[in-house]
Amino acid sequence: MPDRVHIIGVGSPFGDDRLGWVAAESLQRSPVLNGLEPGRVVISILDRPGAMLLALWDEADHVILIDGVRSGAVPGTRHRFTASDVTGASIPATSHGFGIAAALELAQVLENLPDWLLLRGIEMDAGYTGFTLSAAVIAAMPVFVREIEEETLSLVGATHLFRSKTASESSFFAR
Amino acid sequence: MTEKRQIPIQLPVLARVEGEGTLELHVRNGAIEDLRLRIFEPPRMFEKLLEGRDYTEVPDMVARICGICPVAYQMSAVHAIENLFGVQPGPWVRDMRRVFYCGEWIQSHSLHIHMLAAPDFLGFASITEMARQHADEVRRGLRLQALGNEIIRLLGARSVHPVGARLGGFHHAPARAQVDALREKLQAALPDAEALVRWTAALNLPTEEQEFTVVSLRHPREYPMNEGRLVSSRGLDISADRFESQFVEHQEAHSTALHCLHDGKPYLVGPLARLNLNLDRLPAPVRNLADSLGIQFPSRNMYHSIVARALEIVVAMREAIRLLGAYAEPSETYISVTPRAGTGYGCTEAPRGLLWHRYDVDAAGVVRGARIVPPTSQNQARIEEDLRQSLRALGVRQGDAALRRRGEMVIRNYDPCISCATHFLDLRVRELTRA
Repeated sequence: MPDRVHIIGVGSPFGDDRLGWVAAESLQRSPVLNGLEPGRVVISILDRPGAMLLALWDEADHVILIDGVRSGAVPGTRHRFTASDVTGASIPATSHGFGIAAALELAQVLENLPDWLLLRGIEMDAGYTGFTLSAAVIAAMPVFVREIEEETLSLVGATHLFRSKTASESSFFAR
Repeated sequence: MTEKRQIPIQLPVLARVEGEGTLELHVRNGAIEDLRLRIFEPPRMFEKLLEGRDYTEVPDMVARICGICPVAYQMSAVHAIENLFGVQPGPWVRDMRRVFYCGEWIQSHSLHIHMLAAPDFLGFASITEMARQHADEVRRGLRLQALGNEIIRLLGARSVHPVGARLGGFHHAPARAQVDALREKLQAALPDAEALVRWTAALNLPTEEQEFTVVSLRHPREYPMNEGRLVSSRGLDISADRFESQFVEHQEAHSTALHCLHDGKPYLVGPLARLNLNLDRLPAPVRNLADSLGIQFPSRNMYHSIVARALEIVVAMREAIRLLGAYAEPSETYISVTPRAGTGYGCTEAPRGLLWHRYDVDAAGVVRGARIVPPTSQNQARIEEDLRQSLRALGVRQGDAALRRRGEMVIRNYDPCISCATHFLDLRVRELTRA
């Protein structure tokens, strides 16, 4: 059976904490991902699932989690961690109580990690509040979404579908 | 000599509790002089936010109060407003609301048992530590929690802040095939839930007994969720519209959550209160299970709350299986509602206990006033009373670490939702004399 990818955007409606939702919504509109065989790529948008993350990836070979990150880096910095990076003690914290790091650590203990798991995030602007994203995260979003799209295509063996760099990333990131 | 010891339990140290709080303990000559569960989470002013909104907006707005028990907020709200408008939505809506609530009890109780309470009784700091030695039990707990979420999604479209409920019923009816598939899963998981009950009863729980009044809903035939009269272990028996005549909220300077007292005294709401008052309303197989545990219910041991929660998971699973077994897709998923001016009252059993709502609505259906009394406000005085007794029994000369551990265990045992409780803002305006 061909590999399946589950992309999970995690967040809440507030400020940069919604960046996981915005990225996942952008990927849901991706023409190349939508052109793949049904079921190869599943995209979910979740509000702080906590330990329930473990119940989500049973069917997937590869999981990409998208969330806001607070690590002290410059706002807008794009992050990429593997499961082993995230389950360590000194990882950048996400904004949620029982966050992704705790869920992954629990999954590791319960031997329930997917075969391959990636955490993608953007450094949030700690000083920003509102119902849209901060300027730094907005600026980082098009490239961030493209990177996840291309990594997803690689995982399902469809690199020939990489979009041309001339495609309008600003229109791709419509919201 | 005064020995003033403050035990600061602050974020992130007051772990495994929903919200932000601190326990302060003042000791003089080896005795507790003052003890305060300080809740300093900012007031959220939900009642004020509801003023001026159309009645149709209320279910979705109040669902946002809590990510763990949004169904309870929606159910208390729709019952209060429907009571005012004189609406009877009929048997399909009634049954599905009960199923909806079952889902919330299953997910919330499973979460509390495994992530919050059980690590205390087994000596672990977290569910992850506990999972290293009790992996099968944690897997079982996560499976049950996921099933509860699936029920909420069935009727609410999503499990966090669901959007399926409305005045008069639901926006959507699930397909029969979807219902059948979920019912089969619930049936298959019932042995898991029953094993969970026996596991909680076998935990090495503290044996301390306390005197306390319990308050819950009571229904003529069913274990209470959406309907019933307010009853207590001291003989109270009133309808929801008389709540304010018997239960009085007041503000304590140390807390942004109101304290609610019954006859001027603390009281308990929640799973142990419900079970103590409704043993004869348990479905027969659940009553038999309860009777087989070697625990005498009604119980005065607050730590039997974890067993009561597990028993209520079985109640909820059996109820959901029963009601979904009789499911038929309705021709209409809701009935139309016509606004009427007046005041409506609703009270349902949130996982953590009684959740009482009152709405003042004008003839156009606009909310002019709202009052919400969540279970954590009602339990807060009881939690402080329990802390005084438990820490006195432990011995205040114990080190801070031991006092903190026991204090946190006592607080967590009530499954307090501090975020739910901080609705209130005491706004005082000082008028200056004009020159």
